Amino acid sequence: MVETYAPLLLMFALAFVVVIGFFLASHYLGPKKPSPEKMMPFESGNPSEGASHLRMSVKYFLTAISFVVFDVEVVFLYLWAVHFKSLGGAGLLMAAAFLAMLLIGLVYELRKGALEWEN
Amino acid sequence: MNANILLGLSPLLIVAVGALVLMVVEALSRFRDERLESPSASLAVSSSVVLFASAIAAAGVWFYGPENLPEVSSLAPWLLLDRFSLFFFVILTLGGALSCLLAGGYLPEHKLDRGEFYPLLLLSTVGAMTLAAAGDMLTIFLGLEAMSLGVYTMVAFRRGSPRSIEAALKYFLLGSFAAALLLYGGALLYGATGHTDLSGIGSQLANTGLRLVKSDSEVPSDMLLIAYDNAVPLVMVGLVLILVGLAFKVSAVPFHMWTPDAYEGAPTPATTYMAVVVKAAAFALMLRVLLIAFADAKTASWGTGWPPVVAGLAVATMTVANVIAVRQESVKRMLAYSSIAHAGTLLIAVVAATKATQQAEASMIYYLLAYTVSTAGAFGTLILCGSRGAEAVSYEDLAGLGRRHPAIAFAFSLFLLSLAGVPPLAGFFGKFYLFRVAIDNGFTMLAVLGLLNSVIAAYYYLRVLVVMYMKEPEPGAPIAVPMRSGYVAAALLISAVLVVLLGLLPNGTLEAAILAAG
Amino acid sequence: MTSIPLEYYLVVAAVIFVIGACGFLARRNALIVLMSIELMLNAVNLTLVAFNRWYASHHVGQMFTFFIIAVAAAEAAVGLAIVVALFRLKRTVRTDSVDLLKN
Repeated sequence: MVETYAPLLLMFALAFVVVIGFFLASHYLGPKKPSPEKMMPFESGNPSEGASHLRMSVKYFLTAISFVVFDVEVVFLYLWAVHFKSLGGAGLLMAAAFLAMLLIGLVYELRKGALEWEN
Repeated sequence: MNANILLGLSPLLIVAVGALVLMVVEALSRFRDERLESPSASLAVSSSVVLFASAIAAAGVWFYGPENLPEVSSLAPWLLLDRFSLFFFVILTLGGALSCLLAGGYLPEHKLDRGEFYPLLLLSTVGAMTLAAAGDMLTIFLGLEAMSLGVYTMVAFRRGSPRSIEAALKYFLLGSFAAALLLYGGALLYGATGHTDLSGIGSQLANTGLRLVKSDSEVPSDMLLIAYDNAVPLVMVGLVLILVGLAFKVSAVPFHMWTPDAYEGAPTPATTYMAVVVKAAAFALMLRVLLIAFADAKTASWGTGWPPVVAGLAVATMTVANVIAVRQESVKRMLAYSSIAHAGTLLIAVVAATKATQQAEASMIYYLLAYTVSTAGAFGTLILCGSRGAEAVSYEDLAGLGRRHPAIAFAFSLFLLSLAGVPPLAGFFGKFYLFRVAIDNGFTMLAVLGLLNSVIAAYYYLRVLVVMYMKEPEPGAPIAVPMRSGYVAAALLISAVLVVLLGLLPNGTLEAAILAAG
Repeated sequence: MTSIPLEYYLVVAAVIFVIGACGFLARRNALIVLMSIELMLNAVNLTLVAFNRWYASHHVGQMFTFFIIAVAAAEAAVGLAIVVALFRLKRTVRTDSVDLLKN
């Protein structure tokens, strides 16, 4: 059991050691002469400006929230699709009811203006 | 699907379909302009009608007899539509309907008049009903989340208020954490027993028969790493995780930290809903899980199982909550702690249920019904005492209310006395029967501690009465101006009638509760 | 070819669950706390699917997992909505920025 994975583990360990080794080596061996220009973040030669952290508009979050829900609920359709034949008419009916409920949610979202990008 | 199944499911279906229809109607209606006095008032009425209809349907199935609907057993173990579930359906829909009526007065008064509240409340009630009827970890999880997701949103309903959002955030984070613990416990039990349905777990645990890895035919041979004995720790860890999850949900000390904050920050109708419906559903869940899945001789015995843990939770919950409640200056927060204390009292009955299941369950069901109407009434009166910009929260706000508004003060006294357990009101009989069951089954110490705590509790309930009737507001101090609302008045009237009726004529309800527990 | 023993999956799941729980208790960024909860739920998923290999006669464990995935999405949506509401009021998503309700 362990023997099967030993080479893999060895490779991971080796890679880890090498990477850490190079980092440490450059940290200790390289000369350091910091100056204000050198400490600035490199932005293709332009002087850097603005905050380093780009703030996303809340609008993206709202869209993401809707996306997450509708995207994942569809997972149940996979199960239905896999057993489409054996579930037959009853399955079709159930899936239709499921989709109808999702549709109600979509209609609700549309009417409430949750999907309008501009304000 | 045949007609009998539909009939059995009708209490749930009425609320679910009603919620979806109201949601669409509210979204599509063109009458949503600002000039209307209260655009969502009609929603409050129709939602409470839906909930009362569901309660009537549950009562109908009750009188028709679930045993006359043999087809509903095909829904087991997902949903157990027995008398226990039906009685809880009535408690839950009653609590939901009262909260709806309170919202009908509260939301317009406080400029929160958005229609989403009612579909959320209805959908959350569907979750609570599913939870009360669930007999499988899967339906328990679905019901729990359906209920909780609605409530988180209702707590956050006052979007512009940092308090409301803070309450919602705390409640959401701790609620999801508790659900995850419960779920992981369930997953470990599934591993140990091969069942996710409560009765399956219970019978596996009872006939020693942890199912785990015995016959080589069942399992690929290379997977036989976990020995049979190792299933016992799995069950223990699973039980502990489930107990902690349940303790969070019924807000037992020391897992109660979210409760006062969530109750205080939420709009008061949402607080009412949490104190009444969520609590009742959580106790239904607790009874089902502990008394079906963990009812075997070993797990449910005082020496080797969960009863001493629950007893400890009960004592800690009652004592800590009552001591803190005494020190509160906000009446709303005091009522929040009082609801935690009541949960502690109910936990006594959970312990007693290991000896006399039927009586203890019946006493809990009766207590929950009495608690539901008294608490909904108390929060309702608090809503009625305030108006826009001047919500009544502190004791001072209520000073002199007895002289200025005798009817409101009288109603408030009625509900508080019932919560304190003063005869002949509903709360008295609930407490009496619960403590008697505890004493009859040898849990005298617990009952005595419960009684002592009732004395502490009486102090802070009576303090409200003293302030209302015997104090006058300081000159210049802001006084609460009661609002006017037919909806709130209707909710209070229903609660008051039930509080008096349950106190004066307890026998019929009690017999029904015993039947439900049986 | 031998397959990976069940224990390994269970241990990985337990570790993920504990990481999630620790993240939940220790971190103060609401979004990271949300992620921690998701992590815990996914640990449950892994446990259920792994245990299901023992009980090959049914698929309860796997079926359960689908429901957890779906509900977790709904939960994340509500959680994100609350965090967005918090951000709009406070311009921050730190959970220790909200302390109005202490007494």
